[in-house]
Amino acid sequence: MNAALKQRQQDFMAQVLDDTAALPTGWTARHKAGMDIYRNAYRARLVDALRSTFERTARWTGEDAFRKAAAHHVITRPPNSWTLDDIGAGFPEVLEELFANDPEVAGLGRLEWVMHRAFVAADAVPLNAAGFGEIAASFAEQDWAAMRITFMPGTAIFPVLRNIGKLWAFLGEPGDEDARPPDLAVETPQHCIVWREEFKPVFMQVTQAEGAVFSLISGGATYGQACEALLALIGEEHAGAKAGAEAGAEAGAKAGAKAGAKAGAEAGAMLGRWVHNGMIAAIDKA
Amino acid sequence: MHSIDTFSGFGLGLRRAHYQDFLNDDAGAVMGIDFVEVISENYMVEGGNPLLVLEQMRAKMPVIMHGVSMSIGSAHGLDMEYLAQLEMLVNRIDPLWISDHLCWTRTSAHNSHDLLPMPYRYDALDTVCDNVDRAQERLGRAILFENPSSYMTFPDDEMSEWEFIAHMARRTGCYLLLDINNIFVSAHNHGFSAEDYLAGLPMDRVRQIHLAGHTDGDIKIDTHDQPVCGGVWQLYAKACNMLGDVATMIERDDNIPPLPRLVEELNRARAIAGKSQPMVAA
Repeated sequence: MNAALKQRQQDFMAQVLDDTAALPTGWTARHKAGMDIYRNAYRARLVDALRSTFERTARWTGEDAFRKAAAHHVITRPPNSWTLDDIGAGFPEVLEELFANDPEVAGLGRLEWVMHRAFVAADAVPLNAAGFGEIAASFAEQDWAAMRITFMPGTAIFPVLRNIGKLWAFLGEPGDEDARPPDLAVETPQHCIVWREEFKPVFMQVTQAEGAVFSLISGGATYGQACEALLALIGEEHAGAKAGAEAGAEAGAKAGAKAGAKAGAEAGAMLGRWVHNGMIAAIDKA
Repeated sequence: MHSIDTFSGFGLGLRRAHYQDFLNDDAGAVMGIDFVEVISENYMVEGGNPLLVLEQMRAKMPVIMHGVSMSIGSAHGLDMEYLAQLEMLVNRIDPLWISDHLCWTRTSAHNSHDLLPMPYRYDALDTVCDNVDRAQERLGRAILFENPSSYMTFPDDEMSEWEFIAHMARRTGCYLLLDINNIFVSAHNHGFSAEDYLAGLPMDRVRQIHLAGHTDGDIKIDTHDQPVCGGVWQLYAKACNMLGDVATMIERDDNIPPLPRLVEELNRARAIAGKSQPMVAA
């Protein structure tokens, strides 16, 4: 262990991270000019990486506000990972704190962060309707309730308070800086689910009920447990009114119907949608 | 430690802006590009399009993996998780070789994501050599290390940068990636002779050359966002007269021009080195 070099590097790092840190005795103006280059490069590289990952968030906040938020993040949470890809971890929470009166900012930030992660998530082949049906054909009646679902790598969910799909599309339009944003109001809080279609991260906004079911299953709950939770959430009458066939995916409807609970029809619709979208990697009756 | 055979091709850095150019064309045959160099960390991921593109490129031509995060000069030791992930990519891509920089990037608490300067002292040399030995042993292969550009030196340095590099190569058996622009930039910034630098290096350990542009000023900055300047071309010509077969590449990371512009620079390098034909036949 080279204790002297270790101390020297800790001191140098502290000077890079903090523009106001004192420089060692004996350093000249020339040394200070060199240190300023390292300080500026450090800050600029990290802010650029954040801007690249949170491109639409920056477009929504405006460049100055984004740069201030990014600098705040870099100062309060200096990176410790070897990969610059991790620099955005915790940034959505910083946005939520700094833009408390503008909930679109944190919503956009969360969406861009999970899409960024999904972009380089592990590769897997999604289960299509035929594949689902083939596995499900071997299920006995009780197997449906015991079924567990593995979502595709990188799939993630988070709550949203606005119509984030409309905002995403609006910010993706090139050109007109004076264009007015669309009405983003939603009647009730919702969820946004992100997954990857082949190599492209995509998302959909879903009801609170679907978000709750998705979260439960993602966390390891069985399909039966998710159906029971859904029944408690939406009420028996409403659950029964929604036919599984509504989803259009035969496998999902069948699964929902076989789940036994009345909420199963609704859950079946969700399941059909997830299969159709290519969000499911595997199902298991164990 | 394993030896690294020479490879005398001319290549470019693979950057996202040129993915489609490389994938659409048989770049080797059409543009005379013998290899691509990638930033290792950009592909040390679990999956997705970047890895697919890299595998497609590897099917077309040799790939060199150039890292920025090994932190070989760190007194806090090597990051073994980093090395494990690097090894996974090495096994997947089977690169011509792997390289990183003579610098440090992190302490145990923070990562600067910048190539920070080493003090050129004997105790620091011991640390670097220990780390190089461990990294080469962990990866089961020799590694190339690049001379850095730097913006300050330390008052208590005990040797020149080229002496430090020569000691490192001799003690560890590592190879060298000679960045001509970095020598040019640091010679200006620190007032040494670039020719002395070249003369002090063990040229038989050099396997690759980087050529790049920089930003002028009282202190020159290694920005990789400009064409290679006249002074760097002249220094490259001098280096070519001192070297055997080496791989040469144009390194451009920002303000990236259309691919044919970089190929023009590559062809200029090829002409200076006296090699008129690409290695890959049309």
